[in-house]
Amino acid sequence: MTEVERVKYTPASVRETLIMMKDISELMIDLAYSSALFNNRELAEEVMELERKMDTLVYILNMNLMLAARDKDDAESLAGVAKVGSLTNSISDAAADIAGIVLNDIGIHPIVMEVFQRTEEHQARVRIAEESMLAGKTVDDLDLAAEVGVDVIALRRGKHWMINPEKEILTPGDVLVARGTESGLEKLVSAARGEVEKLD
Amino acid sequence: MTENRGLFEKICNDLVELKDTSEMMIDLAYSALLLNSHHLAEEVLMLEDRVDHLHTEFELLVLSAKVESQDVRGLLGLIRMGVVTERIADAAAEIAEVVIRSGEPHPVLTMVIQDAEETVERVVVGEGSPIVGKTLKAAKIPEETGMWVLIIRRGDRWIRPKPSTILNAGDVIMAAGYAEGEDDLKKLLNSEEN
Repeated sequence: MTEVERVKYTPASVRETLIMMKDISELMIDLAYSSALFNNRELAEEVMELERKMDTLVYILNMNLMLAARDKDDAESLAGVAKVGSLTNSISDAAADIAGIVLNDIGIHPIVMEVFQRTEEHQARVRIAEESMLAGKTVDDLDLAAEVGVDVIALRRGKHWMINPEKEILTPGDVLVARGTESGLEKLVSAARGEVEKLD
Repeated sequence: MTENRGLFEKICNDLVELKDTSEMMIDLAYSALLLNSHHLAEEVLMLEDRVDHLHTEFELLVLSAKVESQDVRGLLGLIRMGVVTERIADAAAEIAEVVIRSGEPHPVLTMVIQDAEETVERVVVGEGSPIVGKTLKAAKIPEETGMWVLIIRRGDRWIRPKPSTILNAGDVIMAAGYAEGEDDLKKLLNSEEN
């Protein structure tokens, strides 16, 4: 049994909370598929951690929505917002179930690897070499999404995983998990291994 | 295992489509919400029907695989992964339902909407359109109209736009952009009559 905490009211912008929930749910799906693809328990545990954060956010969102309703018209439309919040949470629950496949040793069938090679979204894991042009820069600086069409979803430094590491200065030895197009990921991998001087 | 190869090929294809479609549905459902587009929401609901059908087919295929007892856990992993894609698709469809159910969006929701000036248009590519047979890159839709393609429906399939995608007459194109681009988009894609 995991510990269930009481959630206290915190004033928060409905808009920002909802957008944060949307971003977290999408990140969780990416991380969950990574954990399955690489059969990696640590990534799966990160998904579970985000799942707990999501559960708290749903409460915070709903509390703020309740206080925002002034009349029946408000109630009508805010019910839709609450519904979207709860559906975003359902998406994160689904991601947590993928992580559960990994954590409960249910078994990742060899087909899964093949599935990931054929889907539109690809993922890659790569270690940053001493001579890599990525070292010393942040993920934001590199503007990978615009430059090569990939997103770094997680970074492992030693034993620590960092999720969505935008401002983190990349250091040799860091392991990146990224998603994006096949060709973009190839470019990122070459750059991380220090095989090329420039990203494109 | 060898007699299973053809079967596993089919299972693999189905899971690829389930994963791609469920992710496409989330993207489209959130876009439908943020752009307050009933057109896009309707596409998500159509995709939901496709996923339901595909998911049943996928589960039947997995259940018909004859494997040794030590490989059964792997099959369970496949079934669970299929269930996840189906649940994601369900959630996306329900988000689309919220969009369809709501009339004018509430101020709180309007704040979430990226830009009230943006709209989504659904246009069928006409026989006489100059873009028929061209790749999306060569068709230069954003340059000509200020609108960009979100998704293409061709018969009972949905295609994510890529620069290399070739456009056919009869394709249903959903594009987002500023409202002023609507007329230009219709003119470019239909090129006969509206």
